Amino acid sequence: MKEVFSMWKYTRMIILVALSAAIYAAFLIVFKAGIPIVPGITEVRPANVFPPVFSLLFGPAGAWGAAIGNFIGDLFGGTLGIGSIFGFFGNFFLGFIPYKLFGSVFGLVPANDMSQTTNSGKKLLAFEIITLVASAACAIIIAWYLDLTKIVPFAFLSITITLNNFAAGVVLGPILLSLLFPRVKRWGLIWTDIMKKEDVAPGFGKGLGAILMIVGSLGGLIVGVLVATGVSGQTLLGFTGEQGQTAVWLAVLPFLALIIIASLMLSGREQFVEEVDED
Amino acid sequence: MDAELYLDNNSFIHRLDPRTKIIIFLLSFVAILLFQNPLWMLPVAVLIFLELYVSKAFKNIYRIRVLLIILSLFSLILWNFFARGQTHWFLFVYKESFFYAVARTLLMVLMISAGVVLISTTRNEELVLGLIKLGVPYRVGFAISTALRLVPTIASSTVTISQAQRSRGLDLDSGNLIERIRKFLPLLVPVFISTIRSTNIFAMALESKGFGAREHRTNYLRLKMQKSDYIVLGFVIAFVIASVTLSIMGYGKLTGLKNF
Repeated sequence: MKEVFSMWKYTRMIILVALSAAIYAAFLIVFKAGIPIVPGITEVRPANVFPPVFSLLFGPAGAWGAAIGNFIGDLFGGTLGIGSIFGFFGNFFLGFIPYKLFGSVFGLVPANDMSQTTNSGKKLLAFEIITLVASAACAIIIAWYLDLTKIVPFAFLSITITLNNFAAGVVLGPILLSLLFPRVKRWGLIWTDIMKKEDVAPGFGKGLGAILMIVGSLGGLIVGVLVATGVSGQTLLGFTGEQGQTAVWLAVLPFLALIIIASLMLSGREQFVEEVDED
Repeated sequence: MDAELYLDNNSFIHRLDPRTKIIIFLLSFVAILLFQNPLWMLPVAVLIFLELYVSKAFKNIYRIRVLLIILSLFSLILWNFFARGQTHWFLFVYKESFFYAVARTLLMVLMISAGVVLISTTRNEELVLGLIKLGVPYRVGFAISTALRLVPTIASSTVTISQAQRSRGLDLDSGNLIERIRKFLPLLVPVFISTIRSTNIFAMALESKGFGAREHRTNYLRLKMQKSDYIVLGFVIAFVIASVTLSIMGYGKLTGLKNF
């Protein structure tokens, strides 16, 4: 996670944090008045297409942009509250996981073409997988906390956030990425063109890290939902059952730890490819 | 469309130190979140509306009136689905759930208003410096304040581009939700492009003025807490302490409310 902190010494990365946060926030606010799912907590969010796309293009700046953008969206959308604290962390991971995982996901992205696009079937599949994993990670972080504080039940919220994040990313993400990548690349604003390789965490056991990230996110979602619906009597489509149950808290906690461990194992350095000068 | 939310007035609120305004902003959130009963939220509502009046920031509230009205209507209706009570009125509405919905709507409006007061009365450079003085690293503070400033600019660009395309015959008002989103997507690209394209120029402008040249930077702008800042802060802190105490004592709850 070294690059999450070292990026702040690059002026362009700081500006990209501001720009991605502003774009995310602007579209979150517009859709706050759209279709609320739980007023004050979440709503249908087409703007969730941005964190994975900005993550691939802007790397750690996309992660900070997602976190800050969500906070600003809450602030000016009138949904700032207790949930915004973990909304910050959840959205940070929504923008953090895609760029960390992109180059390490089952070898789908070839070493000779690490460009942050979906220009092949395999890379498109990689994008969909990382979007799903990031969506689930974001969901369990927020839902775990809100269940613990007895605000919204885990089962309902985790599924809602996962689907909300994933639906936007899976449909609109590849289109947006294909439209933006060539231009952003031409302007030299891809994160690997701005940052130095040595400022990015080297990582270790990246293949295992990718598996742990997937297990931590999707496993946490599945186990959490099973425990919440089984032990706590919650339902997927309602607010029935007990919240704040130790069983849910303990069942999801190891998976959150796995996400953190996997974050330390994954790198992103593999996306730094020496470009051959065509001249 | 004027994208700038800062209002160049010389009101009492404008003259307060940015640190004071940031702390008031954060503390007002604490006070807003304490009570379930809308009547108990009225004192903090009066204070925030007083801030809006004194700073003449109602102008900016008026600019976002459509968003506020839609959000309020949704909130007033939907919160009744997520709460129950003992006194049934009609359909899914209980007396307790209705008052809870009013409280949640008021909470939302007050939070937005508190944010509007801060942004309407504080220049970007003051906000950055205020955040730095409160312990936020300079670069992080700069990113946050720049993002805050860019949100209305991006919203403004979206409106301008959509109007330009409508004038060329693009129909954005017909079709179902999916069709409308599909038609809207190409409009977003110029917004992103124009926003992201400015990054390099923005960076050069900043670096030419010494941004990031040294770890510890000095500022032309000097902040100094005045007597009025301490008086206002003292009042707000006392107000929040009183609110927290009353909340702990059990005041401001909606008896009979069963939410979630």
